[in-house]
Amino acid sequence: MRKRMTAALLTLTLLCTGVLSGCVTADPSDGSGEKGITVAISSDTGTMDPAGSIALTYLAYSVSALDELLTYDENGKIEYRAAESYEVNDDSTVWTFHLREDALWSDGSPVTSADFMNTITRALDPASGSGYANYLFPIENAEAVYNGEADMDSLGVETPDDYTIVFHLAEPCVYFLDLLRLPVYTPSCSEYADSVDSGWDRNPETSLSNGPFSLAEYVPDQYFVLEKNEYYWNADAVNLDTITYRFFDDTQSMASAYEAGEVDVSTSLSSTVMEAYEGTDDLFVTDQIATRYIYMNLNVEPLNDVRVREAINLAINREELCQIVGSDTEPTYNLVAKYMKDKNTGEYFVDEAEQPFEEEVTKAQKLLAEAGYPDGEGFPELTYNYPTLEMDSDTAQVIQEQLKENLNITINLEAQELQANYSTRYAGDFDLCRMNWTADFADPYTYLSMLLSNSTYNCSGINDPEYDSIVAASNSESDPAKRSELLHQAEQLAVGEQFYIIPLFAMKSVNLVNPDITGIRQIPASGALEYRYADIDI
Amino acid sequence: MLRYTWKRLLTGILSLFVLVTVTFFLVRIIPGSPFQRGGVSEDVVETIEQEYGLNEPLMTQYISYLGNVVRGDLGISYQDPATQVSDIIARAWPITASIGITALAVSVILGTGLGILKAVSKRRWIRELISAGGMLAAGIPSFAAAILLLLVFSVKLKWLPASGLLSPVHYILPVTALAFYPSAMITRLVGNTLGGELQKDYVLFARAKGLGKGRIILTHALKNAYLPVLNCIGPASASLLTGSFVVESIFTIPGLGREFVGSITNRDYTLILGLTIFMGAVVIIVNLITDLLCAWLDPQTRRAYREERA
Repeated sequence: MRKRMTAALLTLTLLCTGVLSGCVTADPSDGSGEKGITVAISSDTGTMDPAGSIALTYLAYSVSALDELLTYDENGKIEYRAAESYEVNDDSTVWTFHLREDALWSDGSPVTSADFMNTITRALDPASGSGYANYLFPIENAEAVYNGEADMDSLGVETPDDYTIVFHLAEPCVYFLDLLRLPVYTPSCSEYADSVDSGWDRNPETSLSNGPFSLAEYVPDQYFVLEKNEYYWNADAVNLDTITYRFFDDTQSMASAYEAGEVDVSTSLSSTVMEAYEGTDDLFVTDQIATRYIYMNLNVEPLNDVRVREAINLAINREELCQIVGSDTEPTYNLVAKYMKDKNTGEYFVDEAEQPFEEEVTKAQKLLAEAGYPDGEGFPELTYNYPTLEMDSDTAQVIQEQLKENLNITINLEAQELQANYSTRYAGDFDLCRMNWTADFADPYTYLSMLLSNSTYNCSGINDPEYDSIVAASNSESDPAKRSELLHQAEQLAVGEQFYIIPLFAMKSVNLVNPDITGIRQIPASGALEYRYADIDI
Repeated sequence: MLRYTWKRLLTGILSLFVLVTVTFFLVRIIPGSPFQRGGVSEDVVETIEQEYGLNEPLMTQYISYLGNVVRGDLGISYQDPATQVSDIIARAWPITASIGITALAVSVILGTGLGILKAVSKRRWIRELISAGGMLAAGIPSFAAAILLLLVFSVKLKWLPASGLLSPVHYILPVTALAFYPSAMITRLVGNTLGGELQKDYVLFARAKGLGKGRIILTHALKNAYLPVLNCIGPASASLLTGSFVVESIFTIPGLGREFVGSITNRDYTLILGLTIFMGAVVIIVNLITDLLCAWLDPQTRRAYREERA
């Protein structure tokens, strides 16, 4: 009996070993002498169609695979990509772009103005589910077309020939060039990219790219591989042969995969990683172009009183807050992201003006007393809605404690799941609500426009004609210095005089990058990493 | 027996219907929309919702959904209109099932083996070691086991891969993490019930007849001792087959559990419902099979069915 058991066990073991060793398939990152890197990204969401409902997957893909008309480099200089020049009329309403005639899709066919039109017309069909369609609305009639009130023929985009595209805007828009990096202005090959639900975007045969890399393999929920596009007009400057993106669900798994050597790059990790890797070459900390702040609902008593709003702002100790929340946060007193640059001066926009306000507890107490609540007496309990992310939960507790101690007012905390928090915010159904805004494009307008009285992101009932008129004036001001002054004036009014929001902190991105990789750049608009011209020592 | 099976299948379908109905209305009650994201403007969300018919009365949506389900159409995923919900299930389930079945097989083999050892061993320390080990394994939740395994074998020792399911080696850690609890349960059950069986008269009789110890255990006692074990394996295999979100998430395995949680986070209504129906069906079928197996193994139940038929 025992002998038979031993024999059976032995056979089983041998069988298993055989199966295991025989079936080990190649890791997607393993190349045969080819230069390739593997990047860990958050889980697979959204399509890869620029006209579709995009999320993280598209953002990762497009950075390496698609060329927009033009973009800005880290010094604020224009870097021409699919276009080679442009002209604009005096009042910034007609923008003409001349496409690069040597630009080819990854199958060798030419990139034409029709391919840009293809994305725009498809995105303007609500069925596409594009969340960026509203960034086309500066174009004449775009909004009417989207709402089904006008024909596509009336849209203010012209393509007089294969290599020219002309945008007619409804109103002057001096930051129009900044919008061009958004998906809805990125081309999709008109031969294959027919609809958002045909699946062309995940099929390497039909998913063509006009950038340095093109799709070679797509395995849903697991990984996708980009290979060098030999037809790319600037192919000589591209060093890597492949970039593999692997999907991960949480940052802990990403950090483990980096530690285990399974990926070369892990991005947006938690601040504990920063402490663990302090002083090593692997740690790569970048500034996020984002602001985390709190909306105060102006329709709620007593938040409609500017003195109360100022008191709350002045009573929060942001230095202390950031020390507790994590080393990847930095106090901010502005709405515009701390690390957004002013392209004309090369300096950080917020550093060009005085800090909108200074924290001062005694003044805050005085203001609250003036508003009729001496030492917080009679002040109603307010509720703070925030998503159940660790960082936001910590923030909520610190603020609750600080306001209790400094102003003797009570804040009730209500943690919500992220999606539920979005809904609460959009519905304006809150007293205080957490907000985070990552720049969509590299201009302060992406922030300041949120507080306009007709903005859909204005969830707290701000209605300030003076503010609206300053921001509107900045839109048509073509002198950069004067425009910048108007934008500063608007921010000071909203943040330092009316205290419409409670700015909290700016964040850093904690990334781990294999020290053998060189040439990774940071996109100035969003702060994300770009690998198109990266290289690796092998 | 056949009538019983039919009856069980019908109640199963009824349970599924109730499950779909409750889930349908529950997911609509959760605040949020499949198209709402941090930076998407409210007007755009509304227009897209209209396009997908989400602004119609709930009852209308419910009836049309039920009609589609009956025709076998689970719809498209809102997050990814190019993909059918059934395709997502067809893609994710084999992955979950392969890990689940392996973990189940490991648990049954390991649990039965250790259980027998515990029941027959004359050495006290072996019995106590197995008891203590079982207690520990049953006490560690699978997520803790998963993280512990990951840290030790992937991050520190670098022996085994930390993420994905690219090769058979990738199965070792997640399967181990999943097998912890069921193995411990099976060990305990087999150990206890077999210990009890071995005290019974028929064992004594078999011994007196001169049968070997191994034969008595394997062909007589174990068969009787396995009934309660089967009752425990049923629900365990149902849970292994529908995927563990935590373990799938830690090891980055693209299975059903991960899809399910992702679909809820994204408010992907059709995907949530599709997965609920599928998982519900798996649970019902697995439980049915377990019951039938039990009946087949247990002479008493078998007789009851026969009498019912007669």
